Amino acid sequence: MYTWGDYNDPDLVGALAGSTLNVTMKVDYYASNEDLITKLAASAGSSGFDIVVPTGPYIPQMIEKGLIQKLDKTLIPNMINVDPNYLAQAWDPTNDYSVCKNWGTTGYFYDTTKISKELTTWQDFIDTCMGEASGNCSVIDAAPNYCGMWFWANKINWNTETKADLDACEKFLVEEFAQHIKAFDSYPSTKLAEGAYSIAMAWNGDARQAYVRIEEAGGNPADWKWVLGAPNTELWMDNYCVAAGAPNAEAAHAWINWDLIPEISIKDLSYHGYHTGMKNMSQLISEVAPDLVKGDMIFFGDEQVATMQTQVITPALDRLIDILNKSKAKAGADLA
Amino acid sequence: MTFSVASVLRRRWRGPKYLLAIPAIIWYLVFFAAPIAFIVLYSFGTKDSSRLVPVDLGSLSTKSYSAVFDETFFKTFRATLRISVLATFLCVVIGLPVAYFAAFKVAEKWKAIILAAVVVPSFTSFLIRTVAWRIPLAPNGTLSKWLVGMGWISDNGIQILETPMAVQIAIVYNYLGFMILPLFVALDRIDVRMREASKDLGAGRVATFMGVTLPLAGPGIVAGVLLTFIPMCGDYVTATVLGGAKGNMIGAMIASQFSGAQNWPLGSAMAILMIAAVLLALVVGFVVVWIAPRLAALASPVVQVVRRKILSDQSPASK
Repeated sequence: MYTWGDYNDPDLVGALAGSTLNVTMKVDYYASNEDLITKLAASAGSSGFDIVVPTGPYIPQMIEKGLIQKLDKTLIPNMINVDPNYLAQAWDPTNDYSVCKNWGTTGYFYDTTKISKELTTWQDFIDTCMGEASGNCSVIDAAPNYCGMWFWANKINWNTETKADLDACEKFLVEEFAQHIKAFDSYPSTKLAEGAYSIAMAWNGDARQAYVRIEEAGGNPADWKWVLGAPNTELWMDNYCVAAGAPNAEAAHAWINWDLIPEISIKDLSYHGYHTGMKNMSQLISEVAPDLVKGDMIFFGDEQVATMQTQVITPALDRLIDILNKSKAKAGADLA
Repeated sequence: MTFSVASVLRRRWRGPKYLLAIPAIIWYLVFFAAPIAFIVLYSFGTKDSSRLVPVDLGSLSTKSYSAVFDETFFKTFRATLRISVLATFLCVVIGLPVAYFAAFKVAEKWKAIILAAVVVPSFTSFLIRTVAWRIPLAPNGTLSKWLVGMGWISDNGIQILETPMAVQIAIVYNYLGFMILPLFVALDRIDVRMREASKDLGAGRVATFMGVTLPLAGPGIVAGVLLTFIPMCGDYVTATVLGGAKGNMIGAMIASQFSGAQNWPLGSAMAILMIAAVLLALVVGFVVVWIAPRLAALASPVVQVVRRKILSDQSPASK
C-alpha cells in the first residue's frame, strides 16, 4: 500500500492482517497527491503498489492516465457498511474505482505556553506565524492547503481561478510569509512532540495524534490547542483504490473489504483520528469505542461541516504548486 | 588430446585488452550515460501534465534554463556550495588525524579495529543515521533538558533542528567515512623508510609531515575530497530530514521539481546546471591547489638568494 503518513492502525496493516487474512502488508508513504501521481506515472504500472489512497478530486485524472483499475465490487461486499453520504461522490459517481477510506479537514495546533493570544481563524494563524511564532511555525507541504490558508483567511474560495486572486496570494505568501516558516511538514505530530514548532498547520487526525505523541514524549498535551480553520476550511475525502498493474490485486481487495467491517473501521479510526464514513457512526462509537479520546477533533457538527469546502482540480493547480515551490526557495534562501 | 588441451590453456589471451572493460562500459552506458542523456533531453522540453511522463518534446526550447536563472536558485545553490565546501574541509580536518593515527601509530590488529569502527555505522541505512540525529538535537529531548538544567543554554532548549547548522553537522557525520578510508589507504602505503630518511636527514616531526607524508598522501586527499564533496552537493536526504525550510539544499529543490511540481524540464535544467557548476567548482579548486605549490616553487630560488644575501650580510666574518 502506498498511502499518507501514519494513516492506519499499525495492527491492521501488520500482525492482525497477517493472522486474520493471511496478507502481509508493506506500507510506503507520500506527502501529497502530486507525489503519488508522479511515482505511479513514472513507473507506468510497474510501481509494485497494490493499494493507493488518493484524495477524491485527483481520482478522475488517475483514471484517465490509467493509474488505477476498476474495483471488483463482488470482492468488497462490505461496501454496504459505508454511509451513502460518503459514496457516489462527484469524482466517481458509481464507485467503480474507489471507496471512501475516511474524510477530514484542516486546521492548526499551537502551544498555549508559547503563544499568549487566543487564536480562532486562519488570519490569526498567519499573524502569529509572522509575529510571535516567526521561525517556529510549520505549514502543510501540499500546495492547495498552503495557498488555501491565505484564500480562506481572505474569504476567497480556495478553488479560485481568478488571476488577480492567485497573483495576490503569490505576492503575499512568497514575499511576506515564506521567510517566517520553519518547515514545510505534512505530518508535524512527531516533531511537535520533539518541541520543534510552537504552531503547526495540520490535518485534524494528525493534530489528534500529536496529543498522544506529546504525552508519550513527557510533555503536557493540555498546553496545546487545536483550532479548526475559519471562516472556511477544507473538506477532503481519501479513497481506497487499486493501482493499475497491481501484483496482488486479490489480496488488496480482501484487505480493503476487511477494513470496511465496522469494528475494524472503528479500531482504525481510534488510531488515525479521521471519520471513516461508516453508517450509524455515533451508535458504533458508543458500542465499540466509548472511551475514544478527543472525539471533537474527529466528528464535526453540521455548522462546522457547512464551512468546509471540497477541492476542485482546476488549471490553477499548477500555479498553486508554483507558489509553494517559490515559497520553499524563498524560505530556504533567506539565510544564504 | 591432452597435449592440445594444455596448449589451449597455455595460449595467451590475444583479444583486444579493452574487452576487460566491457562490463563496466555497458553498466555506465545503461545506468549513467543513458539517464543523463534523457535528463539533457527533458531539460529542453516543456511541461505537459497531461502525459504520463509530463514532458512535451514536440517543441524544444531553452525556456527552462532561463527559468532557472533567478535569484532563489542561486541563493540555494550558494548555500549548498557553502555547506559542502565547509563540510569537506571539516572532513579533512577531522579525518586526517584519525587516518594518520591508524596508519602510523597503532599495531596491525588495531588498524583493522579502527577501520571497522569507521565502516560499521554505514551498515545502517543512510536515512536512519540521519533521522537518528533528531533524537539528541530535539528541543524537548533529554540532552536538551540536561543542558538547560545545567544552565548552559537558554530555556528554549537546543534550537538546531530545521536549520542549516543541523544539515552541516549531520552531513559531516554522514560522509566522514568516505574521507577517512582513502586517506588511510594513502598514508598506509607510504614507505616507512621515506619518513625515517627524512628524520635521519635532520627534518623534525612537522617538517617530515609537511614535506614528506602530506605530499605522498596527496592522491588520498584528492580521492577523499572527490568522494565527499560531489555526493554532498547532490545530497538531499540530510537537508530534507533535518534542514526544514531554512536548510534547503539544491538536491531537495530538484527533487521537489520532479515529484511535487511535476516540472521535469525545470528539474532537469537545474540538475544539468548543478552538474556543470560542481564540475566548475572542482576545476577551480584543483587549479588553485595545483598552482599554489608551483608558485611557491617558482618563488623559492628568489627567496633563497635573498636569504643567502641576508645571511652573508649578517656574518661577514665567517666568509
